[in-house]
This record gives sequence, C-alpha cells and structure tokens, in this order.
Amino acid sequence: MKINYRQLSVMIFFSFISLKFLVLPSVLYLHSGNMSWLVVLVLMILDGLFAISIIDLMKKNQDSNINEFMNNTIGPVLTKIFLAVLALKFFLQVANIVKGLEFFVVENFYNNFSWILYILPLIGLTSFMMYKGLRNIARVQEVFCWSIVIGCIYIGCKSFSGVDPLVYLPMFKDGAVPLFESGYRHLSWFGSSTFLLILFGKVDFQNPRKKLCIKYIIFAIILVQFIYFIFYGLFDITSPTHTFAISDISQFTSSKSIIDELSWLVVSLWVIMQSIQIALYGYCLVLSLMYLFHIKSKIVVITFVNILIFALSYLGAETINLEQIFFTPFASIVTIISQYIIPPILWIGYMVRHRRQNKISGVKNEKTKVNI
Amino acid sequence: MKVDAVKTLEEIKKILHESGDLKSRTVQFFGTQVAICYIAPIVDNILLNQTIMDPMLAYPFKAEDDILTTLKEYVLSNNEVSEYIDIDSAIEKLLSGHCLMLVDNADHILSCDIEKITVRPIAEPPTSVVIKGPREGFNESLKYNLALIRKRAKTNDLVVKTLEIGKMTKSQVAVVYFDSIVDKNNVKQIMRRLKNIQIDGLIDSHYLVSYLQKNPTSLFKQVGDTEKPDVLVAKMLEGRIGIIVDGSPIALTLPFILIEDLQNSDDYYSQPIRVTFIRILRLVGVILAVLLPGVYVALEKYHYKILPTEFLVTIMNTTQGIPFSPFIELLFVVLLFEILYEANLRMPQYFGMAMSIVGALVLGETAVNAGLVSPPAVMIVALSGITFYIIPSQAAQFSVLRLIALVIGAAVGLYGILLFCVFLISYLSSFDSYNSAYLAPTAPLIMQDQKDMFKREIIKKMYKRPKSISNNHDNVDRRGKDEN
Repeated sequence: MKINYRQLSVMIFFSFISLKFLVLPSVLYLHSGNMSWLVVLVLMILDGLFAISIIDLMKKNQDSNINEFMNNTIGPVLTKIFLAVLALKFFLQVANIVKGLEFFVVENFYNNFSWILYILPLIGLTSFMMYKGLRNIARVQEVFCWSIVIGCIYIGCKSFSGVDPLVYLPMFKDGAVPLFESGYRHLSWFGSSTFLLILFGKVDFQNPRKKLCIKYIIFAIILVQFIYFIFYGLFDITSPTHTFAISDISQFTSSKSIIDELSWLVVSLWVIMQSIQIALYGYCLVLSLMYLFHIKSKIVVITFVNILIFALSYLGAETINLEQIFFTPFASIVTIISQYIIPPILWIGYMVRHRRQNKISGVKNEKTKVNI
Repeated sequence: MKVDAVKTLEEIKKILHESGDLKSRTVQFFGTQVAICYIAPIVDNILLNQTIMDPMLAYPFKAEDDILTTLKEYVLSNNEVSEYIDIDSAIEKLLSGHCLMLVDNADHILSCDIEKITVRPIAEPPTSVVIKGPREGFNESLKYNLALIRKRAKTNDLVVKTLEIGKMTKSQVAVVYFDSIVDKNNVKQIMRRLKNIQIDGLIDSHYLVSYLQKNPTSLFKQVGDTEKPDVLVAKMLEGRIGIIVDGSPIALTLPFILIEDLQNSDDYYSQPIRVTFIRILRLVGVILAVLLPGVYVALEKYHYKILPTEFLVTIMNTTQGIPFSPFIELLFVVLLFEILYEANLRMPQYFGMAMSIVGALVLGETAVNAGLVSPPAVMIVALSGITFYIIPSQAAQFSVLRLIALVIGAAVGLYGILLFCVFLISYLSSFDSYNSAYLAPTAPLIMQDQKDMFKREIIKKMYKRPKSISNNHDNVDRRGKDEN
C-alpha cells in the first residue's frame, strides 16, 4: 500500500514541526540566547536539503525497499550497521516525543495523572496505527494537517501584539561559536528527514506536483520561525523557564484561566499531532527492526516496540532523567550518522552501481553492434 | 417429452402440495384437451380473460396441425408467451404470476405472464423528505422502481442486470449502472459477491449489506442507501452501482464513502452558499453528537480550570447536592434518552405525543427537581441527542460512539477523548469501499472534489466526475467530452 506524493509532503511537514514547539525553544535559549532562531533555521534548512536529496533517491528506486536497496548498493554488512543506527534514531525520536508529550499532557491538562493512564491508551492507539501501516498514518495526518496549521497560526497571531522585536538585538553578541556548540548539542531534536529512508518503495510518484514537497518544507520552516519569533519575543530571558512553548504562548495571552478560550483546542490538536508522530516513528522503528533481524511477523515487532515504550515510560516516571539522554553527545552522534552520513553514502553507492551497470550495458551494446 | 394435460396438471398439484390457491380449468380446443392453471391471488383476472380465455373461445378458424403453434401465434394475445420443457421451470413461472397451459401431446408447456402487480402508490419517502426537488420515491415493486430509473435515464448506456437470490423467496435483484461511467472491476466484484450468496430468503435489500461490505462487523455503514430515484441516478452518474431488490423500497449504492452521509439531495436543489453553511453545521453537529457528553464529564472531573470562572460557578451551583458522580449522572441521562427514543419509535403513533411529554417534561423535570440529575447534564444530553438526527442514517452508530466517548472521558479525561478521535479517524481511514477511500476526499486529499465536500460549488462548475469514487477514469467529463 503506497502513499501518494501529497501525503509524503504532509508527512515531511509534520516531521519538521513536530519536535520543535514543545521543550526545544526553552532549552535552546540556555545555550544560544536570542540567536536560537538562527540555529533552528540553519538545521532545518539542512534537514530540508537532505529530505530533497532522499526523495530524489527514492524516485530513482521506486520498487525496492530500503533493505533491498542498501543491500544492492552498499552491501550487507553496512546495511546491517545502518539499519541498527536508524532503529536507534527512531527509538530516540519515539522516546523523545513520548516523554515530551507526557510532561506536556500532565502539566497542561491534569493535576494528578497516573503514567499508566497516559501510556496505555497511547500504546493502544499507536499499535493500531502501526499495524494498519503507512497509508493509514498518512491519511490521519492529512485529516488533521490544516487544523493544526491554522491552530498554530492562531496562537501566534493572538500573542503577536506582546512581542518585543528588540530582544533580538544585539545579534551575535557572544560570537558564532556558541551557536555551533548549541546546534551540535541539540541535534537530536532535528534529523527530521531520516524517516524518509524507511519509506523507500512505499511512495507512489505518479503525477507528482512539481515542488510540492519543497513548498511544504519551506512552509514548515516559516511556521517554526514564526512561533520561535513570538516565543522569544514574548519571554526573552525568561524563555528557559517556559517549558512548553506552544501552551505557554497561549498562556501568555490568557486573562482568566490556565488555557484560555479557543487556545485549549489548539493545544489539544498539538497532542493529536504528537500521538500521530509517535505512530509514524514507531512504524519506522518496527520496519527497521524487521529488516534488521529478518522478522516476518509485524505483530511480534510491534509488541516488542510497545514493551520498549512502556518500559521507557515506567523508568522515566520512576528513576531515570530521560531528558539527559537527548542532550548527550550520544544522541547527537546517532543523528549525525542517520541524517548526514547515511544519505550521502547511499547516493555514492547508487552512483557507483549505476555507472557499473551503464558500463556493462555499454559493453553489451558494443558487442551487439559488432555482431550486426 | 409429450405433455398429458390431466396427468401433468395432477403432477403440478402434487408438487405444490395441493395448494388451495392453485386454480385450474380444462377446456377442449378443436378436440384437444388444454389444462389451464394459475395461482389465483397473484394473477390478474382481467388479463386472464382478455388475453387467454376470450381469444381461445372466440377463435373463428380451424386449428392448424399444431395446436401449440396456433395458440401461441394466432390465439393468445398476451405480451409474454414462453415455452418450457421441464416442469420445474414452468412451476417457477407459475409461482411468479404466470398462467400455465398444458396442451395434450404438445412438446412444451406454454406460459403467459398475467401477473397482478400490487403496489402502494409512488409517494414521497418518509426517510428523505425534501423541500425542493422531486418527491417520487421507490416502492416495493422492482418493475416500478426500474421504470422510475428509466424515466430519468433514457440512454442505452444504462445497464440492468438481474439475478435471483433466495432459495425460498427467489427474489429478483437488479444491478443498475451506466456502462461508460462505472468501474468495470467493481461491477464484476459485486456480481460475484451477489452470485455467491447462499440464503433461503431475501426479504429486504438490507439483507445484502453484510454480503457486500468488506468489514461486515464494523460499526460504520459501508453501503449507501436511498429511497429516491433521483438520488440513485445522480449517484450512478458519479460512477456508483445501484442494487434494487424486489419487495424493498430501498436501493443500495456502492462504492460508499463517509461524506455521502453529510450530503442531502436537497443540497443540489438549493442555493450553494446556504448549502455550504448547512454542511459545516452538519459536521459540527456530528462532533457535538458524539463528543459532547464525554467532553462535559472530562471537563467537570479533570479540567475544570479550562472553564471560564462564571461558567464553573454555575455548574458548581447546579450540581451541588447531586448524589452521583458526573459520569453516573450523564450515563443515567444518556440511557434515559436512549430508552425514550426506542419506546417512541415502536409505540403506536397516537401514543407518541404523550410519550414525548412524559419523557421531556415529567421524567426530565422531575429528575432535576428530585436532585437526581443537574440541569446542565440534561441540557448536554438533549443537545447531543438532537444533533444525532442531523445525519439520521448514522444515528445508531453515533449513540454507541457517544457512550464510548462518555466512558473514556470519565476514565482518562480530555487526553483520552483526543486519542479516541485519532483512533476513530485512523479506523475509518483503514477501510476502503470498492477501491474508494472511505474518508475521501479529505484523506487522501483530492482537491478537485472539494467542490462538493463542505463547500458546494455551483452545478455548472462541477463538470468533472468525482475522483473520490472509483469510476471509469477515461470518462470523467460530465459535459460529454473525454478528458483526453
């Protein structure tokens, strides 16, 4: 069951904005100050460029899945290593969203909320979506896409009057080096196009509208920049104390209650989006594990992934400070390999194989000519 | 085989267990014995006399050598005269209102169609009343229903394929579609499914639903239905296939997508801007119908901080002294509503009004006064209940979903309801109806079909057949031109 080009574009859009509006703005400010927006901009543009390059590669190999493609281009050993890295990356992404969403839900909706009540319905929903497959996830994203976009714009516009543009001045007061450090430190929040690697052979590129994907990527970057502009413009040096950007922006405009008027609807839409993203990354994790260990049964791997998520939630609730995992160099290294190293290697592998095939067919053609 | 009039008549009587309504008469026609038999309640006596008995008795000339040929070609003035070699086929015809003529020493049994069609007159169907637009509705006769379709589609492109389903009832089923518009694969698939049906009786078209839908246990409707010929023809013009069963006034349509239930035939006969508004209202109605009680319980139990202070104070004042938790209170009112609805539906009409008064005033008012339930709870359930009927055909599903949402709202709060919404969308996205996505044109998004989704474009601009429905992609232009 393949998804169409528009659905792929929506999927990329969701991936580009999904991790950016919760904890990232506040933690980023600690290291990059008022230039955090630039770090996000640069890393998102990088993600966008890699997304375009992966899509190009997908177009050239529409029939084979990532396992077959990697085996044919870079050999079985590298394939295993890369699949393991990808699985790790997807696990980190799932973990990141699961924990982020848990804090977000508990903070915004409840006074006392059991983690069991949080995780069980979520596992039920994501398992169903993972089982139903990519097309199901894509369709759900399509249904909610525009309401989420409108919601984000609404929240931003509503708070716009409180923004002080002067907080962005002076620029580069500590130079550019801290920005690089900050970018590296928070790389695990990026790498939004890695999931595309798993979608090899699962996209129908018939009659694609030209540049639709690029338009969605640009729109995602603009939307993220808009929300960051509002967030830092509102909170300035107090930004690190505002844990959840999307809800705190709306809280800033509230006069009566924690979440005012329609804003809670927008916050609700955000919860919906995050749960769909968990299903998407979970699906990618399931597929990479299936390819890695040659497991045929999807249900077995989904069950395993669910146990992982459950354990993660339990451990997160009881003992381990999971946030530290995502800021560690380990998570950044996984992102660098999966996002910035694997796609170029695949491209090189593809080019080499392509040239070799051309040579062989060229020799054959010459032989045929001679025979004639 | 040579027919012996008397013996064959006896045999037929025996096969029909000496049925009391089987009437017969034996006459001499130029020296040859002819036995005539028919099932009295289902034949038209006037036709019998005018097309069989009178011509036979009044035939002025000598019979030709072959009595059967004389009868068939010169005597009988009936429209449909056919011959049967085996007795079983002849009896089948006898049971569907034909008269059998058993001629001594003939090779065949003659059969004449004198069926009496007893139908109620064509009237406006009670389930789809329109303010503007055609008021004709199907009745229980397949012949009449096909006539109503033919009246609207005077083209050789209209195909009617008939088959018989039901071992005992032998009900006639007609599959109708426009040959150049329909997706032929769907026709094949539907015909195959219909032919494979093994059932003793087909009483109504809805008997076929479970055979035709791909997820028969699903809560959601996957086969469209209509009682109006204009609606059926309009749907066929989009590439759908109609299925009509003799004895049922409801025609089924396939493929079916969810958005069809948000549309009404009235929409196409009214002003587009108003229709757009009404359609949005319907969507809001659906959301309110399913989620309102659940959200209310969640807000009252977990998220009261979200509510404006004034509203919160009002709720607190009205719920003070209520012995039950918000969930039990809402559950009580929801169940009460369901009971009243079921009772009202099945009660004789003259009791209906009394029941409404008892339900709305006595039970509701008294329950509030007695302090069993709070006024907001009654209001919430009443609002949700009324909005059910924005889409009457899905009302049964909504009542189940409402109950589930209520339980989730009480157990997990707003977060649970949000996940429930995602699950519902995911569940609906997961099934396709005959190569058509159930949630199209939203998921997958089909821009062209947005002209007739929530927004209703003027008819002139809707010149392409919808892509949401699987149809013949080479014939999508409604102006009669091929796209190519």
